[in-house]
Amino acid sequence: MIRPLFLAALLAAPIAAQAQDFAAGSEAKTWNLYAEEPARFTARVTDPLCELTGDCAADCGAGSRQLVLIREADDAMIFPLKNKQPAFTGAVNELAPFCQQVIEVDGLMLNDPDIGAVNVYLVQRLKPEGGDWRNADQWTKDWAEANPNALRPDGEAKGPWFRRDPRIRSEIEAEGYLGLGLEVDGPFIADWF
Amino acid sequence: MRFLIPLLLLAQPLSAQERVQLTGEVIDTWCYFSGVMGGPDSVVGSAHHTCALWCSAGGIPVGLLAPDGQVYMVLKMAGDATTNGGDTNLHVASHTLDVDGMLYRRDGLNYIVVETVTADQDIINATHEDFGVIPGFAIPEDEAAR
Repeated sequence: MIRPLFLAALLAAPIAAQAQDFAAGSEAKTWNLYAEEPARFTARVTDPLCELTGDCAADCGAGSRQLVLIREADDAMIFPLKNKQPAFTGAVNELAPFCQQVIEVDGLMLNDPDIGAVNVYLVQRLKPEGGDWRNADQWTKDWAEANPNALRPDGEAKGPWFRRDPRIRSEIEAEGYLGLGLEVDGPFIADWF
Repeated sequence: MRFLIPLLLLAQPLSAQERVQLTGEVIDTWCYFSGVMGGPDSVVGSAHHTCALWCSAGGIPVGLLAPDGQVYMVLKMAGDATTNGGDTNLHVASHTLDVDGMLYRRDGLNYIVVETVTADQDIINATHEDFGVIPGFAIPEDEAAR
């Protein structure tokens, strides 16, 4: 008796996931990406290192580690690569406060298997259980708080974070914009502009 | 039979794993997967190095792009689990590395725990020769005057 039931349960799981329309109710804004699809779903926030290997840290690494979403509908592991901000910023700062909590997220799913992009995600907003929707735009606020005196190479204290970040500036000052050394950068920049 | 199924489930590792040695370029997975800056060939190597620094420092996951086109999402680099903008990943942005580590697969993605970087070949993918810099504003215009 148990064998038919077990098989039926195994067969039913992917069918249930396929039937789920993750675009339903999504208010995600398009980024005009080739493989984007709006996707709104509930999921548990967790640490992929812990989930896959058993190497777990308190509070999912407390913001130091990458985080993933285990989607409730089909148990799929979704990797959020990006937050809402068009500023080269990831999703960990948005999700870290919700380690091991089930939240609702809304954003863009990317599926382009030809280049390996499967179940990767851009989170635009999230809703904790019992809470309100909030935009996934915390990253630059956190950076500004951590780097109140960061300056651009010309000494100005304004402009986007990536022009002023001390670690990025240090890498570029040492290896150039191309990363091949300042002796390669010089002639290239003269030709580029 | 009823008691065997839970026992079998308990006997499974957390996820299938495999020791691997591979060579790959440390890439910015968002630009590579999304196409937001252009095709895959243009968002790797020297052309995209500055953007790769921005994205790595900004906490976008880095991956290892192998010569066969497979991408491995990095969960640890040389034993360092600080993958949200950590220094270890930042220092090797766009570098081609030979690594030894453990490979895991789940839901269509490859994940790698890099235990050892056996060789760092630095940046060897000179894509700026074909693409300039991607994005075009990676180098601020006032650099030309310096």
